[in-house]
Amino acid sequence: MEFDWSEDDARFRRELREFLDAGLPEDWDAIAEHGPGSDAQVAFARRFCPRLAERGWLTQSWPREFGGADASPWRHAILGEEMWARGEPRGPQYMNVNWIGPAIMRFGSEAQQREHLPRIAAGEVFWCQGFSEPEAGSDLAALRTAARLEDGHYVVNGGKIWTSYANHADHCFLLVRTDPASKRRRGISVLLVPMDLPGIEVREIPSVVGDRYFHEVFFNDVRVPEACRLGPADEGWSVVTYALQYERVGAARYARAARTLDQLAERARERGRLGEPEVEERLAGARAACEAARVLTYRVIDRRARGLPPSADSNVARVAGTRAEQHVARLALELFGTEGLEHGSFADAQFRAAMPAGVAVGATEVQLDLIARGVLELPRE
Amino acid sequence: MDFELDDDQRAVREAVERLAERHAGVERARELAAKQAYDSALEEALDEAGFLDVALADGAGPLEAALVVEAVARAAGGVAVAAAALVAPAVAGRSLPRPVALARGGDPSPVRFGAHARTLLLADGDEARVIPLEAGDVAPVASSYGYPLGRVSADLGGRGESLGPGSAERLLRFWRLALAVETAGVMAAALEATLEHVKQRRQFGRAIGSFQAVQHRLAECAIEVEGSRWLAYEAAAHGAPAEAAALAAAHATRAAETVFAETHQLSGAIGYTHAHPLHVSSMRLQALRLEEGGASAHRRAAARARWAGRG
Ligand SMILES: Cc1cc2nc3c(=O)[nH]c(=O)nc-3n(C[C@H](O)[C@H](O)[C@H](O)COP(=O)(O)OP(=O)(O)OC[C@H]3O[C@@H](n4cnc5c(N)ncnc54)[C@H](O)[C@@H]3O)c2cc1C
Repeated sequence: MEFDWSEDDARFRRELREFLDAGLPEDWDAIAEHGPGSDAQVAFARRFCPRLAERGWLTQSWPREFGGADASPWRHAILGEEMWARGEPRGPQYMNVNWIGPAIMRFGSEAQQREHLPRIAAGEVFWCQGFSEPEAGSDLAALRTAARLEDGHYVVNGGKIWTSYANHADHCFLLVRTDPASKRRRGISVLLVPMDLPGIEVREIPSVVGDRYFHEVFFNDVRVPEACRLGPADEGWSVVTYALQYERVGAARYARAARTLDQLAERARERGRLGEPEVEERLAGARAACEAARVLTYRVIDRRARGLPPSADSNVARVAGTRAEQHVARLALELFGTEGLEHGSFADAQFRAAMPAGVAVGATEVQLDLIARGVLELPRE
Repeated sequence: MDFELDDDQRAVREAVERLAERHAGVERARELAAKQAYDSALEEALDEAGFLDVALADGAGPLEAALVVEAVARAAGGVAVAAAALVAPAVAGRSLPRPVALARGGDPSPVRFGAHARTLLLADGDEARVIPLEAGDVAPVASSYGYPLGRVSADLGGRGESLGPGSAERLLRFWRLALAVETAGVMAAALEATLEHVKQRRQFGRAIGSFQAVQHRLAECAIEVEGSRWLAYEAAAHGAPAEAAALAAAHATRAAETVFAETHQLSGAIGYTHAHPLHVSSMRLQALRLEEGGASAHRRAAARARWAGRG
């Protein structure tokens, strides 16, 4: 066991921090409070991602043949930590690098790889994830959005819901049912859909989390070329499983929570309250949760760095991350009384952004199921 | 970064586990508890094999010592292994006459292994003191919490050898680390006992471990235990920095609360009996949870280490 960063990794983190210090605007914290999907943050990300790409940092952990540098997963983790600690200046782009790109590398045709990977590597595109439907949330295999093959095109009808970033996305990683007679995991396919095709309509769903968090995406006789299908027809579930394994640890949310805590401590100090036993105890309790999430995530990255297949340790890391985020958000709201209720205040922004942590990217209960079986080897119901 | 044990570390852990299989275990812990006795035989075996001095060996350090402590704690060993193998070498730079007990000056509350200790490592103001104990220095205290306890007499201050100004801070850091490591080991044992129980205990025609409500609570425990364990390893590898050691202890201490409550709840009535293995680890969790000021002291130490000087 070895818990120190290599000289190279440490240097990379230093350079990245300098780059961020110099490259983020004065009012960055205000922009970042509204989340990676906000208009302001996305607009910034469109300029920022290509600059990261120029430096070779955006997709350095990808294989060389796809525009990466074969860097270790640790490099990618450092990038994720530093980005999330600043409120994710890559905007929604992190999804592309974390799991959409890798899925296209693994399952894409040569033409698909040529079309999509260089653009992701250049930081030019945003994607959204079209999985959930009104009747298919935790039970994703219940999805019904239909795609009927008709002279070289899939004709898509149906709707997706909760789709983050749909308003800004250039493409959608879309799950559809290509075999109308099929049930559950059989008969599903993945389509890589340009969002500007006729018949696609995006509607915002207003929510307390914030503006532009959730969308519905409607598909009305949308004609998608058959060549846009990723992986085998009707066997898309394997693509989804693969993609989700990568998604699970993509976002270093604990780094953001830890940074929020430092900011909270600073605010407590400004008010002369940092030395209060209760304040100290609560800040440190929350920091312990963030640190636990960090080491548990490192354990998952270590597995990946060794080339081992993902395990339920990913779910352990994920729930720990959710708990840390919720812990910090609660504290942010509670520490300064009703001040946090003011719209746009620091506490308000932190609290509402963290609210959906236990549901987004898979409900905690589903993660706990996977831990019970994968780690504890408990029997099914 | 590398989360896999290297060959030497694996060898140490496996050897300690094998040794503990022969000399420790739930059965042995029960016998000792009945007499409030110290496991001198286990300590001797660990000593002979060199495990108590592993932190002083070439190419080894606190992390290797932590592996020893964790394995002994998990196997319900009734010895002051954390103080001897992890704390004393780091604070005194040498091994001390064993058993070693840890205490804070001015704190009259009972100390683990106090009544059997030959050396007291005392945080006395700014200094750590190595105090050879004599008959009458420590009075035994009866307890159901799995460790023999003793109350140190008030007038020890000033006795023994000072390890120099600032050494108390080092003692408190390594003590916190040791608590985190031990707690992680004991929690793992409590969780194991409970997992075994819920897999074989049947009610309503099925194993109670197949109920989702039961599974989720144990899954939450596993997350707490794993988080505590890895925080402790990391803090050990870095030599118990003030913040990391205190956070590891804070996390483990809080986790112990959850693990205690859940493992007992899910084990039902049998879990409270001497016949069932759970109490051997669960009761110890309470003792570990209160030591060195408990969660609130660990947290405050962590907060000061992280935020006091900044800004
Ligand atoms: C902020 C945010 C962003 C999102 N972004 C996207 C996106 O970009 N693309 C996309 O496709 N989807 C997205 N989602 C949707 C997300 O994947 C789903 O919300 C999630 O999978 C849960 O589905 P659901 O909301 O329908 O809840 P349901 O499946 O209805 O579950 C509700 C609750 O029931 C309980 N529950 C459900 N199943 C079980 C079970 N098996 N055992 C025990 N309890 C259970 C859990 O407490 C769960 O939280 C997003 C969601 C959020 C909150």
